[in-house]
Amino acid sequence: MRNLAKRVIFQTLNDKRSVALILIAPLLILTLVYFLLGDSDYVPTVVLDEDAQEQLVEAFEEETLVVKQAAFDDPKTYIEDHEDVDAVFEMTPDGTAITLREPSTKSSKAVREIQDALTTLNPAVEMDTAFVYGEEDQSTFDSFGFVFLSLFSFFFVFILSAMALVKERSGGTLERLLMTPIKRAQVILGYTAGYGVFAIVQSIFIVLYSIYVLGLASIGNMAWVMLTMLLMAGTAVLFGATISVFARSELQVVQMIPFTIIPQVFFSGLIPLDLIPYGLGNLSYVMPIYYGATAIKEVMVYGSGFAGIWIYLLGLIVYAGVLFLLNMRALGKYRGH
Amino acid sequence: MNIQLTHVEKSFGEQLAINDIDFTIQSGEICCLLGPSGSGKTTLIRLMIGALAPDQGTVRVGETKMPSMSMLRQIGFMPQNDGLYEDLSAEANLEFFGSIYKLGKKALEARITEVLALVDLTQDRKKLVRNFSGGMKKRLSLAIAILHKPDVLFLDEPTVGIDPILRRQIWDQFQTIRAEGTTIIVSTHVMDEVLECDRAALIYNGRLIAYDTVQHLLDQTENGRVEELFLIAGEQEVGEHA
Ligand SMILES: Nc1ncnc2c1ncn2[C@@H]1O[C@H](COP(=O)(O)OP(=O)(O)OP(=O)(O)O)[C@@H](O)[C@H]1O
Ligand SMILES: [Mg+2]
Repeated sequence: MRNLAKRVIFQTLNDKRSVALILIAPLLILTLVYFLLGDSDYVPTVVLDEDAQEQLVEAFEEETLVVKQAAFDDPKTYIEDHEDVDAVFEMTPDGTAITLREPSTKSSKAVREIQDALTTLNPAVEMDTAFVYGEEDQSTFDSFGFVFLSLFSFFFVFILSAMALVKERSGGTLERLLMTPIKRAQVILGYTAGYGVFAIVQSIFIVLYSIYVLGLASIGNMAWVMLTMLLMAGTAVLFGATISVFARSELQVVQMIPFTIIPQVFFSGLIPLDLIPYGLGNLSYVMPIYYGATAIKEVMVYGSGFAGIWIYLLGLIVYAGVLFLLNMRALGKYRGH
Repeated sequence: MNIQLTHVEKSFGEQLAINDIDFTIQSGEICCLLGPSGSGKTTLIRLMIGALAPDQGTVRVGETKMPSMSMLRQIGFMPQNDGLYEDLSAEANLEFFGSIYKLGKKALEARITEVLALVDLTQDRKKLVRNFSGGMKKRLSLAIAILHKPDVLFLDEPTVGIDPILRRQIWDQFQTIRAEGTTIIVSTHVMDEVLECDRAALIYNGRLIAYDTVQHLLDQTENGRVEELFLIAGEQEVGEHA
């Protein structure tokens, strides 16, 4: 088992693209996500009626808004005709009306700022918001960053192991290996250990980078997060090995990503599971990412320790155990079983 | 160690790949499996090394019924596609496979140097296999197959893509290995190579159409060419279907 792990390590090190895939790619994508989901300093443009009260215009100008005044008949056509306008605000006989271009982050930002402006005009309707976990002004990256930790620790190791094993199957090295007196369990554990070493380095990279460079916050102890990421990576090796049975070439591994990885992304914590209709949320139990992502969320967002996450870690271990047995069966084929 | 096949059959789905093959390969001989592409040579080798279990009949290597885990230590196998780790050096490939047989570090080192010299790859031992030529890969693959000094050596088309001079050298090595008492089973569709062997098994459409000493087989033909035996078999086949 040791010699097999050693071989996997040297083999991967000799293939620069694999090393880049497992160590550099996650950091690159994490950085990209950071900028995409980070706080943007976009200032929405709001148009008020030409003869709006001066008080109102002033209140609007106090907020982070570009305020314009114009004469219009129909706010909808006005927005259609003016590319740069995000919202039109009107006082109507029975209250106020906001017309927005489309449901988007720009629009919600405009609405938030307009509400702030109205609150300053009428402090009685002021509403204070407070969160038990997290803070009001945290960016989307702060709220969802943990999802990517679990996603990446799974995805890249999965790709690497699935591709390597498909190559071993098609290149005949697996057949040759199983015609030596090596035990099947040793083969599987050797692989898991070999890629496990990369997974350890990868999780250290990802955790340090996201906390110290990207400033991702965690209430709980990051050691639990790393442990979870390692278990995820181990499961990913076995998952990749299992999937490789169904692929004849490395290309087919890529073709299967829509079936193997993409559904898991949706169950990784991006969408609250109890919002998913028709009980489809229960599908999450067959997805390894669910266990990892939930455990990481428990630690980073709710500050749980081992007591809060052991059940999810156990879920991962059981999952890995099942995959291990599947792989034992698949390897048995090479020995006439 | 001899190899006995008794009424062995193997199908892949509907297709009968090995059809009632029954013969014994003598210990210490070079036996060649001769047959056109798709005739079932690789499948037969897989059955003999225990990579496949027969649907019918039995395969025994020595006294042991295959597939057998304990037999794997005595078997050397050179697959048809090279079965090498492209991202490792020649040396690392040998070290890895050698480590599975637990030869001990010193003994393994010495043996690696020995087999590398045997296949004339001493110069290239540190080179990554992905930078090897086709013939170099074949030779390395052979070196791995003989690394643990197996009693029975299975070689699936070992000389495909190798130039005549090197082919000569490789066959000389087979003769040396045989002289040490190893039984060698080699598949080929190169008729010339038959002359190197003690006995030949002619496989056609998954059936064994002839198995005899090479001399006897050649005596049956009109002008001493092995191809004729297949032409005769082909005619019989057509006759049967008519
Ligand atoms: N795993 C498999 N699944 C399905 N069919 C197979 C499998 N392996 C072999 N066959 C079929 O069995 C027959 C014999 O194949 P085999 O590989 O043994 O031929 P071969 O004599 O080694 O040919 P070649 O000289 O081209 O290597 C072929 O028709 C092949 O299609
Ligand atoms: Mg073949």
